[in-house]
Amino acid sequence: MRTSGRLDIFPKRIDNLMLLIYAAFVLLGLLTIYSSAYTADLPSLFSLEKEYGKQVLYIGISIVVGMIILLIDGKFFINYSYHIYGFIILLLIAVLFTPAVKGAHSWFKLGGFSLQPSEFAKFATTLAFAKLLSSPNRKLTDNKTRFYAVSLLMMPAVLITLQPDPGTVLVFVSFLLVMYREGMSGIILLLGLLVAVITVMTIFIRDSVLLWGLLQGPWILVAFACMLFAVSIFVIRKTVRKRQRKTQVVRAIYVLVITVVVSLSTKLVHEHVFSDRHRDRFDVILGLIDDKTGVGYNQAQSMAAIASGGIVGKGYRNATLSNDQFNQVPEQSTDFIFCGWGEEWGLIGSVLFIVLYITMLIRIIMIAERQRSQYTRIFGYCTACILFFHFLINIGMVIGVVPVVGIPLPFFSYGGSSIIGFTILLFIFLRLDSERMDVLR
Amino acid sequence: MDSVQNRKFVILAIFILVGMIYVTRLIYVQIFDEDHKKWALTVSQRSLRILPDRGVVFDRNGKVLVKNENSYDLCITPADFGEEDSAEIGQLLNMSIEELRAILNVTGIERIVPQKAISGLEIEEMESLQHQLIESEAFHFIESSKRVYPGRIAAHVLGFTGIIQPKQLERDTANYYREQDFVGRSGIEQVYEEELRGLIGYRQIIKDNKGQEKQLVEYDTAIAGNNLTLTIDADLQEYGEQLMVNKIGSIVAIQPQTGEILSMVSAPGYDPNLFSGDGLRKNYDSIFNPKDTLQTSKNKAIYNDTYRPGSIFKLVQALIAMQEGVIDSTTGFPCNKIPMNCHNHPHPSNVKIAIQHSCNPYFYNVYRRLLLRGERKSHFLDSRIGLTRWENAVRSFGLGTAFETDIPGVKTGNVPDTTFYDEEFPRNKPYGRNRWAFSMIYSNAIGEGEIGVAPIQMANLAAIIANRGWYRTPHFVKAVGDSLIKDERYIRKNYSAVESKYFEPVISAMESVVVNGTARNAQIDSVRVCGKTGTVENKSFNDHSVFIAFAPREDPEIAIAVYVEYGTWGGTWAAPIASLMMEKYLRQIGSIQGARSEKSLAKEKRAFESVILDKNADIR
Repeated sequence: MRTSGRLDIFPKRIDNLMLLIYAAFVLLGLLTIYSSAYTADLPSLFSLEKEYGKQVLYIGISIVVGMIILLIDGKFFINYSYHIYGFIILLLIAVLFTPAVKGAHSWFKLGGFSLQPSEFAKFATTLAFAKLLSSPNRKLTDNKTRFYAVSLLMMPAVLITLQPDPGTVLVFVSFLLVMYREGMSGIILLLGLLVAVITVMTIFIRDSVLLWGLLQGPWILVAFACMLFAVSIFVIRKTVRKRQRKTQVVRAIYVLVITVVVSLSTKLVHEHVFSDRHRDRFDVILGLIDDKTGVGYNQAQSMAAIASGGIVGKGYRNATLSNDQFNQVPEQSTDFIFCGWGEEWGLIGSVLFIVLYITMLIRIIMIAERQRSQYTRIFGYCTACILFFHFLINIGMVIGVVPVVGIPLPFFSYGGSSIIGFTILLFIFLRLDSERMDVLR
Repeated sequence: MDSVQNRKFVILAIFILVGMIYVTRLIYVQIFDEDHKKWALTVSQRSLRILPDRGVVFDRNGKVLVKNENSYDLCITPADFGEEDSAEIGQLLNMSIEELRAILNVTGIERIVPQKAISGLEIEEMESLQHQLIESEAFHFIESSKRVYPGRIAAHVLGFTGIIQPKQLERDTANYYREQDFVGRSGIEQVYEEELRGLIGYRQIIKDNKGQEKQLVEYDTAIAGNNLTLTIDADLQEYGEQLMVNKIGSIVAIQPQTGEILSMVSAPGYDPNLFSGDGLRKNYDSIFNPKDTLQTSKNKAIYNDTYRPGSIFKLVQALIAMQEGVIDSTTGFPCNKIPMNCHNHPHPSNVKIAIQHSCNPYFYNVYRRLLLRGERKSHFLDSRIGLTRWENAVRSFGLGTAFETDIPGVKTGNVPDTTFYDEEFPRNKPYGRNRWAFSMIYSNAIGEGEIGVAPIQMANLAAIIANRGWYRTPHFVKAVGDSLIKDERYIRKNYSAVESKYFEPVISAMESVVVNGTARNAQIDSVRVCGKTGTVENKSFNDHSVFIAFAPREDPEIAIAVYVEYGTWGGTWAAPIASLMMEKYLRQIGSIQGARSEKSLAKEKRAFESVILDKNADIR
């Protein structure tokens, strides 16, 4: 299959579709950043005073980094997984001692540029995580392995929480999906879903009153859970054979206890731990507050930009909200970059974007599944799930189904650390994949 | 069953499901979410109205009566109003706390839009306020314009502009106005609002999140309102106002052939600039004060229609009687002072002498003949027929009906008819049908009784006599923009019921009144002035001094009515003022040349200096 000698130094069997999708996102992202900064008297595309100019630089660095990664033997990453992980953990500790920018200790200042180590924590954690789970005799049914795995995730998560950077912390939840794929019980996912549903419902009904003031807020849920519990005990007695009854009853008790605990603690957290800002973000998403000029401002502006795009959009560089000179959309080129895309290209553009993104995720899963190496497969799943969570939160935020959380759209958003970090993640995976025909590791 | 191998499908399903949910959500947001589409327009675009320049108003000679001048509006952005003490701000802005709260408590997107609080500030006022409000971001000044009345004259005629009233805003189905817009609220400003206001322009702009204009999308120029040329002669008007200083009353001067009102004075007057810009809000109460016994706010020339015409009405009586054939110009009646008193004068052996000496018994007899024609045996029935004929003839002189013209609030006056005596008079207990007769209503004979006229109607009467029998409806507008007005209402000749041949004896009499009668004070050198004095009786105060006149006798150029309230005799105050007005106008149009006489200057000095505000003063 050798064709020419020129590209010999690059591995064969690089997945071209993934490269194409990657190139598409990076390029479209750059065009969108350019468009949002567009004014009639714009300096050149390569001006480093403008975000798009810097992004060109970051993309250049990313390409170089990506090519270097493709040149490095996959063994290097596997062998040095823990070292890289350890190095990034040190960076995450060090960054806590930098001066705060906008209230967060997240950046190392290097001249005119700044480095955000939490963006690199994602691929570093992935390396270590894949290494741990692919080690011989590690099974996720085994409590010790679970403990190590969770500890591995918790370490960067806690450090990033201290910055604080809640958006990036949330991404670490995505590893749960990988653990599920690698044999963790699905019950945990379901329980996670249950917790999420109860949390949302508790906030949603926090001011509701039933039975003439007897039941209020979370107590409604508690009462409802007790009733459900009674009914299920009754049903279990009638339908389940005696021998299996015990496990079923225990499950029902679990559900009851979780409901009560989560519901009541959500109330406490919501009232006493959350700052007003966070509380308001939840309330806006749940439609409890409609305050477009106040607490709901960011979401109202971003949804307005997207909504105003209509079906076909306003056309390239014609955005009237998602443009720096109008400044209507906050964090225009980073977290809310999808507004510009949606406003300029309309529903057609945004659906194409989502199709392309989901295609990318499916492709990564397909590549992961064709691996003989467990390490590569786990790495692939981690990549897919991290990218998925960014998608879930970022797009969900700008279209008003997820509270406002600062998190970039991979490959698309402006930001050096982000694009370089994701490039490293993806390209390590592509390098590992290119070695899929090699001996089983 | 739950093979770990198959879990990839669960994960793929989650990815695809979320993708589908987001596509669905995007379909909703980008197609059906009207709320956010509207919000996008609200925050990012604005349609700015460009208010056109209001038309300039000129007098008949091209002098500016009303123009526009730059001014400043103060706007408050409620969202930026923070720590300031609203009571203190209210005091500073001369606004009540309620007015201020109404602005500050607007809701929704309006909170970030500057709200107009005060309009029409002078540049000095603006600078002083700007200095005091510099601490706060909530206050902005925007340029606008306000009406200015450079001559400070004709306040009652020109009217004023002010913020549109809620009711007018409701009636504005064409959707021209917005709240806080200025509209003509009285006088010429009101009547010619549509001509003066122009066409509003629009600027469609894209703004940033602070509301600052960033990009122009569409532009539609405003078209200035039409200029207006009035029939008013600014110099004559100003002179009239000076003559009427410290007096209560009015002057109306009409160009008889055209019906053009040359001047309309109502005294006391006020400076129309008081109400321009923000002035209306500040000064309204000082002029429109219900306790103001001088009724400064009222245009007495049209508003006071309950003046009895007094002796002047004898002119009308004589004309109608000759037309009806109940007398001729040579008919005489004895002046026996019965039933009305009279002063001593030569025997009224004809119409001319009777008018010249204003003989009361003579016109008692004339009126008696007009009302009692002997067509019915019953005096009641006979009076009824006679009154109807008389009344119709009187109305043909423009009395008892409101002119269809461009003067807002023009009133009818009163000419008593059969219904009036049947149902309305006396007010507490009307006579009732066939229960009144000539003997009960004869005081109408000499213009007392139940006849009520407004000064403009008296001036018009002078014009009718000057024209020998017809008038054009008195009006103010001469041209809109560049085109002379061609309104049928103002072109049509309205003929009185009296043929022109009957006017000569009356006119001769009027000239005698000036030459050697009660109005010798009205003489103008080298001009044949015709006039008639009147004295409107007041029971407990001095009588009103009234005079109507026209000049020159042949080919009249000006007809005039002057009312000086509490001035007692028509000849004492009204006649000299009328003559000064006529002389001024005739000199202006070149009918009189040469220097003014000593007599004229003395009259003028006397008028300028006299004060007739006390209802009982001895001012002879």
